[in-house]
Amino acid sequence: MSALTLTMKHRLDQRVDMSPLVCHKLAGLTPEQIGAIELQCGKQKIRVDSLFKIQGDDTQNLIIANSFAKLDYIGKELQGGQITIEGDVGAYLGMQMQSGVIHAKDDAGLYAGCEMKEGLLQIDGNAGDFLGAALPGNKQGMKGGRILVKGNVGERAGDHMRRGAILIEGDVGAYCGSRMVAGTIAVMGQCGRYPGYAMRRGTLLFWQAVQAPATFNDCGSHTLAFLPILFSSFGDLNSHFAEPSEVFNRVQRYGGDLAETGRGEILVKLA
Amino acid sequence: MLIKLKGGKVFDPAAGVDGKTQDIYIQDGKIVKAPKQDAGVKIDKEYDLQGKVVMAGAIDMHTHIGGGKGNIARILLPEDHRADPVVRGQITRSGCGHVMPSTYVTGYRYAEMGYTAAFEPAVLPVNARQAHMEMGDTPILDKGGYVMLGSDDYLLRMMTANKDQQAINDYVAWTLQAAKGIGIKVVNAGGINAFKFNQRQLDLDEKNVYYDVSPRQVLQSLATAVNQLGIPHPLHVHGCNLGVPGNVETTLDTIQGIGGLPMHLTHIQFHSYGAEGDFKFSSGAAQIAEAINKNKNITADVGQILFGQTVTASGDSMHQHANHQFANPSKWVCMDIECDAGCGVVPFKYRDQNFVNALQWAIGLEIFLLVDDPWRVFLTTDHPNGAPFTSYPHLIRLLMDKSFRNDMLATIHPEAQKMTTLASIDREYSLQEIAIMTRAGAAKLVGLHDRGGLSSGNWADITVYTEHEDRQRMFEKPDYVFKDGQLVVKDGEVVKVTWGTTHIVKPDYDASVEKDLKKYFDRYLTMKLGNFKISDDEFTEDGRGSLTEHPLKGGAA
Repeated sequence: MSALTLTMKHRLDQRVDMSPLVCHKLAGLTPEQIGAIELQCGKQKIRVDSLFKIQGDDTQNLIIANSFAKLDYIGKELQGGQITIEGDVGAYLGMQMQSGVIHAKDDAGLYAGCEMKEGLLQIDGNAGDFLGAALPGNKQGMKGGRILVKGNVGERAGDHMRRGAILIEGDVGAYCGSRMVAGTIAVMGQCGRYPGYAMRRGTLLFWQAVQAPATFNDCGSHTLAFLPILFSSFGDLNSHFAEPSEVFNRVQRYGGDLAETGRGEILVKLA
Repeated sequence: MLIKLKGGKVFDPAAGVDGKTQDIYIQDGKIVKAPKQDAGVKIDKEYDLQGKVVMAGAIDMHTHIGGGKGNIARILLPEDHRADPVVRGQITRSGCGHVMPSTYVTGYRYAEMGYTAAFEPAVLPVNARQAHMEMGDTPILDKGGYVMLGSDDYLLRMMTANKDQQAINDYVAWTLQAAKGIGIKVVNAGGINAFKFNQRQLDLDEKNVYYDVSPRQVLQSLATAVNQLGIPHPLHVHGCNLGVPGNVETTLDTIQGIGGLPMHLTHIQFHSYGAEGDFKFSSGAAQIAEAINKNKNITADVGQILFGQTVTASGDSMHQHANHQFANPSKWVCMDIECDAGCGVVPFKYRDQNFVNALQWAIGLEIFLLVDDPWRVFLTTDHPNGAPFTSYPHLIRLLMDKSFRNDMLATIHPEAQKMTTLASIDREYSLQEIAIMTRAGAAKLVGLHDRGGLSSGNWADITVYTEHEDRQRMFEKPDYVFKDGQLVVKDGEVVKVTWGTTHIVKPDYDASVEKDLKKYFDRYLTMKLGNFKISDDEFTEDGRGSLTEHPLKGGAA
């Protein structure tokens, strides 16, 4: 069986809700049946086969080719299987995904991996604001699984994050880890202002120097034995995070946010 | 256009008709007498209702569908909207929300259950404009509001200064006219105000530390004002000590203390708790029901809770603040509103395996079943505080079907089962009694002189059901709903969107009352007196709203 490939035929003016096209909902369907599924596009409904050329038949290995930044909700609530996207994707990529793998080969929009529960979300390009965050008004963001971004990330990454890991090879914007409850965010590049704003627990791990906010306490330099163990858990990823040369255990530790319960930490790599 | 509803089984308690098969004629929006046989009158449209149940359109006399707290609840619960989107139809607009739906969806869903009128019980005078505009955006339904007094600085100042009853009457009548209400509501009399002076509870005879006025005095002077002004709806009372174990004593005391004046006790379930048993929480339903049966001046609506997610929205900031620790999901809002009153919004999830929730459920049902006179007890969930209004058909089934009720009872928290007498109550409501509670009785209580009945002269608000053993199914999906003679719902779906009227009363007052009020407004409030008063145009200028004035008691006005 070859991967089920949906190649976009033409671009639309309106955004498209792609949530019906997830592996677990497609299981057992023929290409004809998949072509007849209707997608919400603006205020209209359009058939899948009017928008995509359909090839292959393995519904558990879905490729969306020639994608662009108005395809929203790709991989929503995904339960197993793999989705690969060639081209940019819109907002809410992998929202509330429960298991499986999503691999976006270019940029992703707002709220990628928001409220994700389990699985792996890899974005090779950049990601927008609110990566792994909670939907507006909700109390809990990402609850498990891993997000890997090779490019840069917007603001509020990991807002209200509850568990799991967000790994960013590039830079991250302001308010990284804001209102975080627990979990880990690791950033190799530069970090914007106010990291850990109102965080309660959890770990922010930075390779580059950061300006810790005023409500964080400098706790001095530490040698932490858990860091190599943490790094070894990234060993299966196709990422700089998996390289042995990146492993370190000496960090400067800042505790906070003291405006909240203050049990979170910002760790900065020491040379 | 003359419409004939042919051969339905009619339940019209207002005219004493109990399940008799008869025809109903509608002309120009109203119900008319049968035309004479030989007059040769042409019937334009005939509906064959053979075997169907025909009732007046239902009236919800206490439901929070307008006012600032609704919007706070909406903002607070985005997840509720996301979980229940409503798409645009051919004639209906889109919306969302389960526990606090958007205005349009509220109107559609009420109509789809056979309701044709709903009354907002907590219109803060200073926010009345917003409440009316929100209700003005609620389609199909007739509406109206009870204007909230009793914790407002101006009234309490008057009482501290020992102003005479006439002065209070003038103020009450002026406020009611300015805010365009049909009744007067009092919430935790003086308690919302006392909260601002750091009092965290206020018993019936406890004095507000600043004004030196007790809730009992507030209730007496407002009930007297309502009575003397001839306002048909009795003083609408949300009592002291809402939700506090042992508050049954306070409620009984309130009933005695009103001295025979007409008084409506709202969501009385929340005020009927004893403090006995291992968990210091027990049912006071039997005592309350006995007191209601004995005191003919008292009416009550139940405020039944049903299990599941909802949100509580109340003016009683004192007790909402006390309950915020139970917020589920854990987020809440309490606020002061000008010098008028307060507001508290706390999401709740009532659970059948929680002892307190389970007993609350049983207490509500006990009250329904132990109060003998259906003309004096009303079917509410205090939407959305006990449950969303969409659960009414389920509630009706609980009242009409003893075995279903006992099946449900068997699934709740076992300790709660031991603390309730529900299993031993055999009463099942009849269709006629449901019609009294939700139609004729409610219209009489609110003071609607030409609604809630099916005799000629009434407006043609009519609901037609197919009789079904499962009463929930029956009441969920009426065959036809007519609003002012127009078919608005067919087979449980909106087929025409109309706009209801706003019901008001206009008691008289001495115009000189504005002299002191103007000074007070200029000195203390953010709004000028002239802007505070809502004009008739504000209801009618959009081309779809209207005002309907109802007569006062005793032929006044």
